[in-house]
Amino acid sequence: MRHGDTCMKRIFVDYKKCLACKACETACAVRHHPSGTLIGALGDRQTEIDVRVLAIEHEAFPLACRHCDPADCLNACPSGALGRDAETGAVLIDPTRCKACAMCAMVCTFDAISFKATHRSPYDREVAHKCDLCLVRTKDGGRPACVEACHSGALVYAEYDATRSKRATKSLRTYLLGEEGVPPLVELYRELRRKEFARRRGSAE
Amino acid sequence: MKIVTAGTGMAAAEFVEQLRLEGFEGEIVMVGDEDCPPYSPCVIPFYLAGEPLDTVYWKGKDFYQKYRVTARLGKPVVQVDQKRRLIHTADGAREDYDRLFFATGSQSWYPRPEWLGINGVFGFKTLSDMMAIDRYLREEQITEAVVFGGGFIGVDAALALRTRGLKVSLVHRNTRLLSQMTDEEGGQFATLRLAEKTALDISLRTTVEAISQSNGQLTGVRLSDGREIATKLLILAVGVIPNSDPLQGDDQGVCSNEQMLADPCIYTAGDVALTRHAVNGKRGVYANYPNAMRQARVAARHLLHGDGSFEGSLNTTVLRKHIDFPVISAGDFSGEAITWQQGDIWRRVYLVDGMINGYIIIGDTRLSGYLYQHYKDRTRVEGTIRKIISAPRHDGQYREMLGFAAA
Repeated sequence: MRHGDTCMKRIFVDYKKCLACKACETACAVRHHPSGTLIGALGDRQTEIDVRVLAIEHEAFPLACRHCDPADCLNACPSGALGRDAETGAVLIDPTRCKACAMCAMVCTFDAISFKATHRSPYDREVAHKCDLCLVRTKDGGRPACVEACHSGALVYAEYDATRSKRATKSLRTYLLGEEGVPPLVELYRELRRKEFARRRGSAE
Repeated sequence: MKIVTAGTGMAAAEFVEQLRLEGFEGEIVMVGDEDCPPYSPCVIPFYLAGEPLDTVYWKGKDFYQKYRVTARLGKPVVQVDQKRRLIHTADGAREDYDRLFFATGSQSWYPRPEWLGINGVFGFKTLSDMMAIDRYLREEQITEAVVFGGGFIGVDAALALRTRGLKVSLVHRNTRLLSQMTDEEGGQFATLRLAEKTALDISLRTTVEAISQSNGQLTGVRLSDGREIATKLLILAVGVIPNSDPLQGDDQGVCSNEQMLADPCIYTAGDVALTRHAVNGKRGVYANYPNAMRQARVAARHLLHGDGSFEGSLNTTVLRKHIDFPVISAGDFSGEAITWQQGDIWRRVYLVDGMINGYIIIGDTRLSGYLYQHYKDRTRVEGTIRKIISAPRHDGQYREMLGFAAA
């Protein structure tokens, strides 16, 4: 994936390393809050969170917009609100144009687009919101807030072509889940979680 | 080569933009009946609901300048002379073309066209309609309205006016709102929930039979159940018809091939075009923006490069306007029905031969993209789909992916 000569970076997920700590969600909320602080984002109904940790039994992983190319959402938006950033290839929503009509959400395989009256909504109503790849940070060479906050290595910000070529690309599973290689401590934690969930299910394990 | 578009709607704008982005340098003339830049019909009700006019121009207010287009506006195309490659407009003017892009869209169908002559009766289809209604609301300080027609446009109209602060009565002939995009049970569910959430006064199995007026000013309507409602505003949204008359002499839509050609020099697209459905193969008018956009791109590509073909339309629809209560559907509502409901959320998938034949999702957008992709791609889902749509935390697709049965 390239636009011009720029190699593009994307957020990759190694779900086996996800501890479901939700540090990514917290960091995303803070980064997108006008106050830029945790205290401001907490308890604010308009706080925008563009990544969500899915916890399914003992597994967990952070889910956000994949900035697909081609992107079905981009081709579905009838209000000119969705566009692709020329430099980074990120799919972005312009909240001043978004009418929250859900044409985009209707075709997003990942359910990565949500609706809320966020601080970026200019008309006192809901708008579509999703990951913007933290362009304000990443264009200056930084990493997205969620990646910065992830201490277990489940979120990786890496060059798209190189990283993707290492992964099988045949299914949703491999597209989302990525590489093996889980550190021993995380492996132990996973084992404990697996047992705990097995116990909750009333299994004999 | 001189290119003319009959129509300045979304399809025509997309077509012209693609031509210019692909480096076409020749003359482009756009002919349309409304005197404004291309606008998004999806967005215009929000103008009525109180949002800025500029946002309706979804490709920018400066579209004609930006793409070096000669715009001939304010006069509808009334006839296409295919032999002499000419179009005639209502003012008697003509425009010759080498290639014509015929995308005149559709117009409101009125059961009683003479009602439109009464002050206070409006259609709900064009930006001109919205501006006329907006002016009327302000000048007459309207607080109540009757909307006749509870399909997509009628519900959109009712919700926009409600957002504007009006008390709205919605009158619909069918047994449920949004009857084209739902089956009976789904439509009933959506109607009930919409009524609860919006306090719209909804009358089903009812029509507006007559209107009353005083000196050309609307004063009220009489419904088929005998009820009379005093109102100074009546919106008519009972149906639309394709504007195919200038090309075909009827309103049945314009037939096209897979290159979107209606004749060797005329492309067509959008709400006037008859196309093949990508899944069930039926020919029809599939009026939605993604179809119009893809058709316009196929036409532009074929014109410039002589290749490419249209893969077919999809009848995917979502109504999520002004309130957080989406109604989503696609395909045909026949086959084995698998249904799930939890609170305000209702999902149904129809299966034929193990594949999704149609689906309806009400009250939520989650899983709609999953169903859309599998519907479009003709995946066999009979072994998994029940669990996937029934996951109470709406994570069925991910549970499936990770190898967990739905809880």
